[in-house]
Amino acid sequence: MSAPWKYEKDRVFSKRILVLLGFFLLLIAVLISRVFYLQILQGERYKFLADKNRTSIRLTMPSRGNIFDRNGVKLAENKKTFQAILIKDEAQNVDLVIENFSKIIPLEEDEITRIQKDLKKKRAYMPVLIKDGLSFSDIAKLHLNAPDLIGLQIEEELTRFYPFKDQNAHLIGYVSLLNERDLENNPDSPLADLPGYRIGRTGVEHSFESVLKGSPGMRKREVNAYGHLVRVLEEKDAEKGENLNLTIDSRLQKVALEALNGESASAVVMDVNTGAILALVSSPSFDSNIFTMPVSTKVWKSLINNERRPLQNKALTGTYSPGSIFKLVVSLAALEEKATYQQKKIYCNGKHTVGNHDFHCWKRGGHGFVNLEEALMHSCDVYFYQIAEQIGAEKILAMARRFGLGSALDIGIKGEKEGLVPSSAWKKSRFKDEWRTGDTINLSIGQGFITTTPLQLVYLISQIANGGYKVKPHIIQGQELLNPPSLNLNAWHLRLVKSGMNMVVNNEKGTAYRSRFVQKGERMAGKTASTQVRRISKKEREKGVISQDKLPWKYRDHAIFGAYAPLDKPRLAVVVMVEHGGGGASAAAPVASQILKEALRLFPAEKKEEKESNIPLKTEPRQSQHLKNAQPTSLAPQPMPLLLKSEQNTQESLVKKKSENQTPNKLERI
Amino acid sequence: MPFFKDRNCYLKNYNLSLTDKIKAFNYKLLALVCLTVFIGIGTLYSAANGNLDPWADKQFMRFLLSLSVLICVSMVNLRLWMKYAYWIYGISFLLLIGVTLFGHVGMGAQRWLNLGFMRLQPSELMKIALVLALARYFHSVTLNDIRSIRSIIPPALMMILPVSLILEQPDLGTALMLVFATAAIFFLVGVEWWKFALVGTGVLTAIPILWTCLHEYQKKRVMTFLNPESDPLGSGYHIMQSKIALGSGGLLGKGFMESTQSRLNFLPEKQTDFIFTLIAEEFGFLGSTVLILLFLSIIIYCFYIGVISNNYFGKVLATGLGVNFALYVFINIGMVSGLLPVVGVPLPLVSYGGTAMMTLFFGFGLVEAVYINKEMVIGRNGSIDDD
Repeated sequence: MSAPWKYEKDRVFSKRILVLLGFFLLLIAVLISRVFYLQILQGERYKFLADKNRTSIRLTMPSRGNIFDRNGVKLAENKKTFQAILIKDEAQNVDLVIENFSKIIPLEEDEITRIQKDLKKKRAYMPVLIKDGLSFSDIAKLHLNAPDLIGLQIEEELTRFYPFKDQNAHLIGYVSLLNERDLENNPDSPLADLPGYRIGRTGVEHSFESVLKGSPGMRKREVNAYGHLVRVLEEKDAEKGENLNLTIDSRLQKVALEALNGESASAVVMDVNTGAILALVSSPSFDSNIFTMPVSTKVWKSLINNERRPLQNKALTGTYSPGSIFKLVVSLAALEEKATYQQKKIYCNGKHTVGNHDFHCWKRGGHGFVNLEEALMHSCDVYFYQIAEQIGAEKILAMARRFGLGSALDIGIKGEKEGLVPSSAWKKSRFKDEWRTGDTINLSIGQGFITTTPLQLVYLISQIANGGYKVKPHIIQGQELLNPPSLNLNAWHLRLVKSGMNMVVNNEKGTAYRSRFVQKGERMAGKTASTQVRRISKKEREKGVISQDKLPWKYRDHAIFGAYAPLDKPRLAVVVMVEHGGGGASAAAPVASQILKEALRLFPAEKKEEKESNIPLKTEPRQSQHLKNAQPTSLAPQPMPLLLKSEQNTQESLVKKKSENQTPNKLERI
Repeated sequence: MPFFKDRNCYLKNYNLSLTDKIKAFNYKLLALVCLTVFIGIGTLYSAANGNLDPWADKQFMRFLLSLSVLICVSMVNLRLWMKYAYWIYGISFLLLIGVTLFGHVGMGAQRWLNLGFMRLQPSELMKIALVLALARYFHSVTLNDIRSIRSIIPPALMMILPVSLILEQPDLGTALMLVFATAAIFFLVGVEWWKFALVGTGVLTAIPILWTCLHEYQKKRVMTFLNPESDPLGSGYHIMQSKIALGSGGLLGKGFMESTQSRLNFLPEKQTDFIFTLIAEEFGFLGSTVLILLFLSIIIYCFYIGVISNNYFGKVLATGLGVNFALYVFINIGMVSGLLPVVGVPLPLVSYGGTAMMTLFFGFGLVEAVYINKEMVIGRNGSIDDD
C-alpha cells in the first residue's frame, strides 16, 4: 500500500512550495525596495553623479595681461612657445614614449618624477604635461621621431616672458606653474587640468593676479567613458587679462640696478610731488624667466642659500634701523616743539652721559659747538642725543608716524613690511620694561627698536622735499592724489632741515661732500646713515674703532643714503640702502648720486609749470578703470575738485589774500 | 475513498495526441516569457543607439530558434524526459569534463565548448540537467527515505560533482545557482529544517577555508562589493557606474533610447549582465518595478504548475526550473544594484546571449510539458501502475 506516503509526500511539497514562494516574495520585495532606494531616495545624488560622469569641462588658457612701464615699454609679455603633452589613452607604452622623448630632449630627474606622478594621478584621457617652453627646432626634432612618440602631442601655448630679465625681477615678480599645494588648496579647480597654467607668485604679478589673469575659456562637453567627445554642450572664449601700466621707468630701473653693482642692496626712486615710484630695485637680482618653467633644484638651492638673498625684495621687505636719516624726523619734532632750536647751539664733546652710561658721538673728540644745520651736516650724534632727551621720545615717535613710518605704504605690491615705530606701551608688552632715557637716546640717531623699509625712507625724504605733503606712494599709474593732505609742518622748519641736507652734500664739511654733483645747474641734498649691526664694546672703542673694511662682511655697518634733487623745486627723491656696505657716505651716497643724476636727466624740469610743483612729471594716459577698483585706496574721497591751472592760481591767490595765517593748502616753494 | 479516486486518475490521459497537447499547452506562460524577451530585444535596440545591429537582430533569431526548441521540448512525453533524465545529466556532466579539458577560455574563465556551429556552455545545460536528475531521483524515493541521510547523499553528489568542476572553470555565479537550486529542491521535497541549519553552520565555519580557494579576481570582486567606492577607477568601477546609471533613472526614467550613462559606455557590459541597469535608467523606478513583477509572475506560474501537477516528477521539475529562473533574477538584479558581488549572472530572457536563452527556453519547454501532462500519473519507476 503506497498511496498514503504519496499523499503525504505531495502534501509536504505543497506546504513547502508556499513557504518557498513566501521567501521569494520577500526577496522580490527586497529588490524593489533596493531599486526604490537607489532611484527615488538617492535619485538626485546619482543624477548629479551621472552628469558629472558624462560632462567634461575643458578650459582654454586665457592670455595674461601685459605689464608696461610709464613710457609704454613692455616689462612682461606673453611669448608663444610649444609644449609637449602626453595622453595616456593614446600611448601604447607610456614609459617608452618618455624614454624616447628624453633621448631627443633631455628630461631632468625631478621632471620625470613629476610626469610619473601626474600620469598616475590623472585619468587616462587627461593630458599630462611632459615639457613646455619648447622651441621651434625642438618641435622639428620631435616631429622627425613621431613614430617613436605615439600619444605625444604638441600644443601651442603662451608663456610669460620678461624681456628685461633680472632688471625688474622684484618689482614685477614672476609667474610659475601650479604646484601641489595650489592643487591641494583648490582640489576641484578645473585649472588643475590645464597644463601650463601659471599664476603670479611675487611682485606685481602676484598682487594684481586677479586683474592680469583674465578668465579661462570653457568648453563643456559631453564625453563617453573613454573621454571622447560626443557633443559640445557649452562654449565660452577665454578673456584676455587686462594690461597694467606702471609708474616705473625701465631706463631708470636699469641704471639703478647697475649702480647697485650686485651688492646686497636696494634703491627706490620716487617722484616727490606725486608719490609715483619711478624705480624700485633690489640687488642681487635674478632672471624672472627661470621661474616660468619648473626650476631645477640646483638653481633653486643656489638662490635660497645665497647669503645676499636675491629672492627678497629688500626695498619693500627689508627692515633696517634708519640710522642718521632719522635725525631729520628728530629735527622736525624738536623744531615743532620749541622754535628756539632754530638757532640753539649745543656743544658736542664726543659723548653724552645719561646716568652712568656714556653715549658716544661717531666722532671721537666731538664736533664742538653745532647748530641744527651743522649737526645734520656732520651727523653729530651728541646734538640729537641732547635734543631728544629734552623733548622726549613721544614727540619724535609721533612725528615719525606722521611721515608714515611704522605702517605699510600700500603701494600696490603685497608683502610689504611695516617696520616698527616703537612706543612705551609696545616696549612694556614686548619686554615688560619701562621706556628709558637710553631708549630715547638710541632713537634719536635712528637706532634701537625703530626699523623702517627703504621705501618708507624714500617716502620720508619725498615728503620733506615736497614741502610736507602726504602724497600717495604708488606704482600703478593714475593713483596720485590731486590734492594730497598736508602734514602741517612749518615751512621754516622744513627749510632749516633741507638746508642741513643741502650742507650734507654741498658743504665741504658735509658727510656726503664727495658725492656732490652739479648737472645743468641742479644739485642734490641728502642725508647719510650708517647703522650698526653689532654692538661696539667699551674695550674695542678704547682700542680704536676697527675699520669697516677689516670686518667680516656680515658684521659691517649698513649704509643708507637718502637724497632729493634738485635743491630748488625738488622733483625726485632716492634712497639707497647697501647691506653691510660700511658707511653711508662711502657706500650708499655715490650710488644714490649716480642714480639721481640719471633720473634728473630722464625727468627734466618742465619750465612752463614753474609755479606748480605739485603736478605729475608726465601725464599718464594709459589708465584703465579696473585698477582703481583693484586698489581701493586710490578711491579715497578727494575733498577738492579738480581745478584747471588758471583757476588754481586764482584760488591760490584768494586763499593768500583772505587768510595769511592759515596753513597753506598748496605746495609752497622754499 | 481517495484510494479509488486515485486509481481512476491513473487511467487518464497518459497518451495524448498532438492536437490534445497543443490544446493543453499553456499559452499564458508562453506569452509572459515572450513579452520578457521582447522587452530585452527592445532594450538591446536602445543599447546599440537605435540599431538592430549588432544585438537586437541576433537576439531575435535566437528567440525564434529557442521558441521552436521550447515547443519541441513541450511536445515530448513527460515520461520520456523522466526516462532519460539521468542520461541527460550524464551527458551534461561529460561535456562539463570536456570543457575543463578542451574548453575555450573567455574573460578569464573556461566556459565554452566550441562545436563549430555553436558555442556550447555545458554549465548552462547542467542547470537543467541537474533539476531533471533531481526530479527523477525524488520522484522515486519515499518521504521516509528522504528523511534518511543515506538517501540524500546521491542527490547531493549529483550537485557537488558538477559544482566542483564549474568552480574550477571558474564560474562562481553558475556554481552558486546550482547550489541554491539544489538546496531549494531539497527543501521542497521535505528535507528537515535542522539539516539545512547544520549544513548552513558548516558552510559558515568553512568560509575562511573557502576564501583561500577563491580565485584572485573573485576575491577582488567580493572585496570591492563590500566597499565599491574605495577604488572607483579600478575594480569598483562596475558597481559604482551601475549604481550611478540605475539611480539616475529616477521615478520615470530618461525615456526610451535617452539613457546617458549606458550609451556613453560608462556602464560596462550594458547588453549582457548589466542590461537591467539600462532598463532602469531609461524607464525609471516604474519600469524596473514592472519588469521585476513580470519576472515574479513567471516564477509564480512555474510554482503553480508544480502544485497542480499530478506526478511528483513534474512537480519537482516545474518548481525546480522556476527556482532556477528566480535565482537568475535575484542574483542579477541584486548584483547590478550593488546588493551582491558581481558574479556574472545574466538577466534571464533579457540579457544578450545565446546559450542562456536556449537553456531557459528548454526549461520553459519542460515546464510546458509538465503542464500539458499535469494529469498524468507516473509510477515510482516510470511505469503507469508499478507502485
